[in-house]
Amino acid sequence: MNEYLWDGSGQPDPEIQHLENLLATYRSRRPAPVWPEPASALAWFRLPSRWSPLAPVSALAALAVASLMIIRQPALPPSGPSWQVSRVKGSPILGAAALRGTGLLTVGEPLATDSQSQATLNIASVGELRVEPDTRLHVIQSSTTRQYLALDRGTIHAMIWAAPGRFVVQTPSATAVDLGCAYTLRVNPDGAGLIEVTFGWVGFRHGGRESFIPEGALCATRPHIGPGTPYAEDAPPRLRDALAAFDFGNPGLQAGQLRVILAAARRSDALTLWHLLSRTGGAERTAVYDRLAAYLPPPAGVTREGILAGDARMRDLWWNSLGYGNMSWWRIWERNWENPGR
Amino acid sequence: MTQPFTPDPSRDAALVAAARHGDRQAFGLLYVNYARMVHGILLARVPPGEVDDLVQDVFLQAMRRLSSLREDAAFGGWLAMIARNRAHDFHRRQPETAKLDEDLAARHPGGAEGAAVLAAIRELPETYRETLTLRLVEGMTGPEIAARTGLTPGSVRVNLHRGMEQLRARLGKGNRP
Repeated sequence: MNEYLWDGSGQPDPEIQHLENLLATYRSRRPAPVWPEPASALAWFRLPSRWSPLAPVSALAALAVASLMIIRQPALPPSGPSWQVSRVKGSPILGAAALRGTGLLTVGEPLATDSQSQATLNIASVGELRVEPDTRLHVIQSSTTRQYLALDRGTIHAMIWAAPGRFVVQTPSATAVDLGCAYTLRVNPDGAGLIEVTFGWVGFRHGGRESFIPEGALCATRPHIGPGTPYAEDAPPRLRDALAAFDFGNPGLQAGQLRVILAAARRSDALTLWHLLSRTGGAERTAVYDRLAAYLPPPAGVTREGILAGDARMRDLWWNSLGYGNMSWWRIWERNWENPGR
Repeated sequence: MTQPFTPDPSRDAALVAAARHGDRQAFGLLYVNYARMVHGILLARVPPGEVDDLVQDVFLQAMRRLSSLREDAAFGGWLAMIARNRAHDFHRRQPETAKLDEDLAARHPGGAEGAAVLAAIRELPETYRETLTLRLVEGMTGPEIAARTGLTPGSVRVNLHRGMEQLRARLGKGNRP
């Protein structure tokens, strides 16, 4: 055998060298990204104050019960896998009956916890949810390519390992799309919500309004308005307050709130500034642009004129330089979502 | 060859063990060691314009599932399997989009001749196209391909030899030395 082909030793083979030169442009060149802290991905599995020391035993017992159930259950419905529900404490209500051990949550059937009960939901190929007290949810759609839940009220912690875009949670005021992550989602009785992402990132959407929340950030949402502007978990209180007023307060006072936001924003608040580019116009957008550009100069292909004119492609390019991942993930999901037949 | 053959199974196993316990730097080093393999496996199967994002996707999946890997030394083969599955999943989810992107991508990155060679490689049987992509595009040596992917050196050698024969035939260069 040609030793140059095998290990690059011996007399260089001109034909193979020619092929190497032609193909070199396709070679991997992207530097290693900044990885989210793996430990944080497991953080919610390690909450000793909330998990019983007998949890491993319970898990084994649940696994045994689940195994028996799998053996005894008829084949899964053709629409897709069902969520395995396990009681953690109290008496969660699955459908109309109290859950004593484990059960299956089918499409349309509600799962509700009172102030004393908790449960977990699991699909091996998708991920796991912990359902906190005073929560109510149901499954809208379950298929091999999408799990679509509705969180009516309460709190869930989600740890999702399915491919990005496959796990979606609808709330009364926004829809959360998992893009490879762990997060906590809370919905108040009035429909207002808050999402806190601890790993990966989440897309939050309502109508034409979108927010992208990476690890270490939060985002509030309100009925009839949709998701607000995301902010870092360590954002200054002054910035948080001004953002809440800007997003959900009196529109006539937005200009003043924006001045406070821009004055308080740090470099690490670039996430917030980026979102404000699409939520402002005219002189306000110019001010946001100048602030963001001062912290993070726009990359090649992004111009001041384009951003001020509202060029969405340029905004996406700028996002990609923030270090939170590539916007194409979200765009692929949008494309699939809006054209499900493709 | 732009990079010498330097895989070290015991070092990689130690990195895997550290990464499993949350050492982000160790995971970053695994990325450095295995990114070319993952990139090559994906490039053999999906449009070039999609590969970089999918590489990151594969490593994120691996990070999440690392606790399920039973044998640290099997990391390479395990990661290769995730990459192949991710490519399969990509086509299952958006075949029409993929074809469009492929057509567009083929016009640009490597020029017409480079695109034609890559297209010819991607028409080869799966085993050959993957090994040839790792060798000719990613610049990995045969021993490195074996060490990274978990294939035996003998299998890699055969794949390279037969793959090159078939590639020559497809490119109409069967009579070249």
